Amino acid sequence: MTRTAKGIEVEGTVVDCLRNATFTVELQNGHTVLAHISGKIRKNYIKILPQDRVLVELSPYDLTRGRIIFRYRS
Amino acid sequence: MNTAHFPAGTDERPVVVTRVAEQEWHALAGDHVVGCGDVSRRPDGRIFVSIDAWHGAAFGRLVQAMLADLPRPLYTLVDEADRDAKSRWERVGFTTRRREWEYFVPTDPRVTRLDAVRPPAGVTIVPAGEAEEGPLRALDRALREEVEATVGWQAMPAEVLPRPHGVTVVDPSKYAVAAASDQYVGLVRVAPVTRLPRIGLIAVRAGWRRRGTARALLAHVLGSLHRTGIERAAAEVTESNAAATALFDGIGAQRASSNLELVCR
Repeated sequence: MTRTAKGIEVEGTVVDCLRNATFTVELQNGHTVLAHISGKIRKNYIKILPQDRVLVELSPYDLTRGRIIFRYRS
Repeated sequence: MNTAHFPAGTDERPVVVTRVAEQEWHALAGDHVVGCGDVSRRPDGRIFVSIDAWHGAAFGRLVQAMLADLPRPLYTLVDEADRDAKSRWERVGFTTRRREWEYFVPTDPRVTRLDAVRPPAGVTIVPAGEAEEGPLRALDRALREEVEATVGWQAMPAEVLPRPHGVTVVDPSKYAVAAASDQYVGLVRVAPVTRLPRIGLIAVRAGWRRRGTARALLAHVLGSLHRTGIERAAAEVTESNAAATALFDGIGAQRASSNLELVCR
């Protein structure tokens, strides 16, 4: 887990793609969050699929919510 | 650096929007970044913006600052299923310009019914990695000129935009082509992206269309993927491209989602 000026960033694995453009992501610590994908990822047409390993920035207002800011290649 | 001060946000701390770099804005509540804005220019010159904010007030203040700083028109992409995001952009003047379907394309010939498809008479399919680079680049240039002279590249997904310095065929090994006796007449590019290969581009010369060349190219690449154990691929198609949507719909591809390109003029 990394604490940056932007917030807490945690690695996780995508468990499910939900219908409203959100994803269920299981974090390394076992917690599960609901996450949107970042605007940069969408602009670059990066697909997010179940089982993808991703970096999630957690919401400073609700630690069960987050934003996928990076998808790892493997 | 540009900075704009606004009244309190939803967490009741004053929010300050700062342009921290030529292409990046931050919304700060205290010492916390509660939103980021980003801008990038595509090779065709259009300016695309994106905003990630933890609450609507931060979004509104970021977009206000970015609209004040940037020239119009501005473009952005949203997932059509994300109604909140779409509404936020619409409230500040963005309107829908076009829709792109995101397809999941099955590779199994029993599903696609492409197993019996053959190229039209006089055409052969050259597998990826075996196409000659010179004729491939010539075909790519011809196709791009045809598109530019008709609907234009702004009606196409970002994937097919020319790269800087005019380079469009970055990796020739990713292309399978349809070859006639004296020239290449069609191409398909498949990128082996992680677990979901992407059909990045499929195109046929104007004089060779409506003969089944694109179906034959698809049959070839999807069959090849299926033989390596890959069950599906991805593709993006602009809704207004009737031939392409008919092609993918006709082989059992499923529309998984859609992206909207919004514009603010």
